Amino acid sequence: MEEKKNKVGVYICYCGGNISDHVDVEEVRNRALKLPDVTVARTNMFMCSDPGQEMIIEDLKSGKIDRVVVASCAPSLHETTFRGAIERAGSNPFIYEHANIREQVSWVHHGDPATDKAAILIASATAKAKHLKPLAPIHVDAKRHATVIGGGIAGIKTALDIAGQGIDVTLIERSPLLGGQLNSLGQLAPYGDHASDILKELIDQVTGHTAITIHTNTKVEAVSGYVGNFSLNLLKKSDPENIPLTLDTGAIVMATGSVSYTPFKGEYGFGQYESVITLPELIRLLKANTSSRSMLEVNGKPIKNMVMIHCVGSRQIPGIHPPKENGTLNEYCSRTCCSAMLNAANQIRETFPETSIYEMYRDIRTYGRGQEELYMQASANKVVFMRYEADEPPEVSKNDDPDYPLQVRIKDGLTFNESLTVPADLVVLATGIEPNDVTNLASQMKLPIGTDRFLLEVHPKLRPVEFPITGIFLAGTCQAPMDSGEACNAAGAAAVKASALLSKGYIELDPFVAEVDTDKCQGHGACVEACIKEGALTLMEVINPDGNPVKQAQVTPAMCLGCGACAAVCPEGAIDINGWALKQYEDMVDAIVSDSVAV
Amino acid sequence: MSPQAEKEDNKILILATETCAYPGADSVGQAHSPYPANTYILRVRAPVLFPESFYFDCFKKGISGIIIMSCGEECPYDGAYKALAKRLDAVYKKMKEMAIDLRRLRLTAICTVCNRAFLKEVNDMDKSVRELGPPLVNPSL
Amino acid sequence: MVSPDIKKFDTLVVGGGIAGLQAALDLGDQGYTVAVVEKDASIGGKMIRLSKVFPTLDCASCITTPKMSAAAHHENITLFTYCDLVSLDTDESANGSGINCRIIQRPRYVDPVKCIGCRQCEYICPVHVPDMEQGGLSAKRAISIPFSNAIPQLPILDIEHCMLCGQCEKVCPTNAIDYFQQPEDMMLSANTAIVTTGFELLPVKTFVQYGNGSIPNVVDALQMERLLAPHGPYNRVIRPSDGMEPDSIAYVQCAGSRDKSHGVPYCSRVCCMYAIKQAMLLSGSLPLADITIYYMDIRAFGKGYEQFYQNAKAMGIEFVKAKVARIDQGDNGSATVRYERQDGSGTASQDHDLVVLSMGVVPGWNPEPICAVSKSTDHFITSIKPKISPVLTSINGVFVAGAAAGPKDIVDTITESGSAAMEAAKFMSNSPRGN
Repeated sequence: MEEKKNKVGVYICYCGGNISDHVDVEEVRNRALKLPDVTVARTNMFMCSDPGQEMIIEDLKSGKIDRVVVASCAPSLHETTFRGAIERAGSNPFIYEHANIREQVSWVHHGDPATDKAAILIASATAKAKHLKPLAPIHVDAKRHATVIGGGIAGIKTALDIAGQGIDVTLIERSPLLGGQLNSLGQLAPYGDHASDILKELIDQVTGHTAITIHTNTKVEAVSGYVGNFSLNLLKKSDPENIPLTLDTGAIVMATGSVSYTPFKGEYGFGQYESVITLPELIRLLKANTSSRSMLEVNGKPIKNMVMIHCVGSRQIPGIHPPKENGTLNEYCSRTCCSAMLNAANQIRETFPETSIYEMYRDIRTYGRGQEELYMQASANKVVFMRYEADEPPEVSKNDDPDYPLQVRIKDGLTFNESLTVPADLVVLATGIEPNDVTNLASQMKLPIGTDRFLLEVHPKLRPVEFPITGIFLAGTCQAPMDSGEACNAAGAAAVKASALLSKGYIELDPFVAEVDTDKCQGHGACVEACIKEGALTLMEVINPDGNPVKQAQVTPAMCLGCGACAAVCPEGAIDINGWALKQYEDMVDAIVSDSVAV
Repeated sequence: MSPQAEKEDNKILILATETCAYPGADSVGQAHSPYPANTYILRVRAPVLFPESFYFDCFKKGISGIIIMSCGEECPYDGAYKALAKRLDAVYKKMKEMAIDLRRLRLTAICTVCNRAFLKEVNDMDKSVRELGPPLVNPSL
Repeated sequence: MVSPDIKKFDTLVVGGGIAGLQAALDLGDQGYTVAVVEKDASIGGKMIRLSKVFPTLDCASCITTPKMSAAAHHENITLFTYCDLVSLDTDESANGSGINCRIIQRPRYVDPVKCIGCRQCEYICPVHVPDMEQGGLSAKRAISIPFSNAIPQLPILDIEHCMLCGQCEKVCPTNAIDYFQQPEDMMLSANTAIVTTGFELLPVKTFVQYGNGSIPNVVDALQMERLLAPHGPYNRVIRPSDGMEPDSIAYVQCAGSRDKSHGVPYCSRVCCMYAIKQAMLLSGSLPLADITIYYMDIRAFGKGYEQFYQNAKAMGIEFVKAKVARIDQGDNGSATVRYERQDGSGTASQDHDLVVLSMGVVPGWNPEPICAVSKSTDHFITSIKPKISPVLTSINGVFVAGAAAGPKDIVDTITESGSAAMEAAKFMSNSPRGN
């Protein structure tokens, strides 16, 4: 067999039927073998498995191949897996190209067209692969300092954890007070710990920590820079001269927290009748209540019948629930309210036995440890449960009875779906959790926000506390509703990632940045003009081989975004993006149109 | 496999951004929503990489339609989208001069979960190229 | 036995499921050395055995294998699979640097160094045994690799069923078969330990009201995961007893959970979501089948879960508010589900072709008498600071994460594992390093 110039190995995955049920994998392999640059083509039930990776490693080690194409699922899942395998073979991980034949072929096409398309995508990946060259990660010095934005429990815990690893931390809080939402809570479900005790313990630690600097009353005005070298402009509200503080930091953790949902006027009588209050208001009353009577008192009035309505501002369904004036609708479950409601109900029933409680719910979600016990305890405490459907919510209206200013009508799913009316002198709404609005900061930092308006992680299981922007993490209720323990777990998870990132004092970045071919560059400067990142590309005077000074473009790799705006405008074709070169795309298009592998 | 599978003449090239549209296409896959197989998705960092000539070269080579699936305003490269839009204005102008049907090139924004939008774009383009057939562009132009 | 050498690590992770792997990776990435001790023949735990996972419907393999592979190849992580933990002593007076454990490597009857994972032994073996990795629904050979993406890729010879015919020994190209392999004793020492021993499902066998596991076509949820998995026992969803494609499938929620008298009093936390997920996958593979979920409360509390539930409702999956009282064998392989409606209107019964029991979750490991971490009445390990750090156990330097600390879904488990790794790292930064 004649020696091929390029030695591309093609590895095609069955994905346990996910691919092979629709793509004739062996046929694709045979066609791949006919490609001019392919020396090896193999298949495996699971390419991502160890034996699958071993095949690549062995072929690289034996010198059969010097470029790798894997055809399998979406590259987001396994690109790093295969790069890692190549590295273990002692090769450069960037000689790798991916063909997405599951998400973009077998799951959307069937029969011969699926097989043909898989073969063409492999031919195109091979065309790109032959131009791949070994690349080295960009080495960036990183400041051993992290910034945590948000001084609630998640932010405090994150700061303590990172500082515990010997890394300096700055903790920034917008309000005058650390502690966030926990400040407004009392006895916590399910074990009855006092929020104030928990906060005191953490705040004492964080304020006493020598490696942690705290800025309360401080807003983050602007964020710039990149991983290892971010720069924040802070504005202290107390500063009469508004002099912005600048903070250099290596990593940022968003712990911007949440607020309690405010019902709109008329929602279950809220804002309409003064006896309709929210759960946070009830908690405040319970904290302040020192009465030794047998009935809960609100504004000096004893409460005989209290109705608690669950899922207010949560689990909203388009078409059933009207959106708020600003157009928002909270389709998610707020996770913490069921236990908080039951906890409050138990507290009241046990302290004020003469106050009756009716809980109106859709589903009781006491999912966590100790929470189901709260539910059982509430039943034992003779809390009356009534169940409603989303499309037939309870109705709160005025009552003529002077003892009970309100009445709540419900179609009770626990009593033959009968319509029942409960007279009430207090109605408590379990208002859900909404994220704090950080739209401005998020758009400045290019952080994604989900349709639920919470900050959006890269992947809930693969990278649950990371953003797509390297060096920025998230923790706590800015991500999703969670309770204190859960927020602290998220904080620990974010802190461990930030600590690992900053532990060495330097960071290695993807090498997909612009590179100038100094033989070709004529110093036109079109690229510098087209460049969208200030400082990434400059025109420098250099001495050419003839000893004459000439102008040439120069890239600052740590700044370059790798967008390619420069490559498009160079008349000489002297600048291109490593790993994503224009030339590679041209060859990929050739492979797509050539039909050499389609039958 | 039938070796006589019909050769596909109407090829659609999709330039899909790696942060938005490409995972968006994956999301369509995860939902197992079928769409025409004459579509070839290339993962790009930012479509601003491609000069005007790239598009005409594609048509000359026989690509029937091109969809640029960008991140739109969500583009992680601040300023790149504007530059892209400006370039495409010039491309469209030249397409008109060369009598290439403008429907053959489409710029759209596709998010990571924009399944319906993705399917609509693909199906619309497929309909157009089936009606128009392969482009007849004078290679010497 | 001669006292074996002591292998030293910074952290000992007990359990190589997703919780243990994530904790090991988060510590390894910070430069700590980690030993992962796993009782099964492969790492990956329950997650690698699942089909797809909620709420993203990613295939479980695709999320687990990168982490398994990363752990297996990590320079700071050492895996001890197919090992029993015999003792774990903590010496708190030694400032946390005093964890000593003894593990026994069970014999695979295969030399791990010589074996190249070619599976020739498996192909030639004439003995078929039930494949518990496929929920006992299909057979495998008496010598076989546990499952296709297992790590390590080493076969295990089932000595109970092997007839010592010698064919595997003959066919093995590297002479790796060793019928006389003995258990191997090992001592490990570490500064910290993380317990990630996961969960098991309550056994159907102990539930007389569900037929004690004797009614055909009544399966538990993990068996259903295998039926739905792309590389499952039949490669499609069919009834185990007769291979029929079921037209009507029922889910029995809270089977043994929230049930003080017959099972466990607590909520098992994951069953609502996995039942909904399985129902969605089923309606994809069997579009004409009727799927009914009998439930008391749907607990879709995590990020994106409620939306997932509403989608399932919109897809036509039927949710019936009722408590299933008993299941009886019906005609033609069906099962009769007798249930009590929650609205108080009495009982009813319905035949289904296939019934899935969403069995309650119980701890995967009882630390007693090996490790004296405190447990609650629910037998899961407790935290001394559940609101500040749910991963701190009653023993200094010993942490817990995942389902070992109570039923938990994968998302919460992965986050908690990161948190446990953080606490362990912090603990080690604050105390003199043992090695």
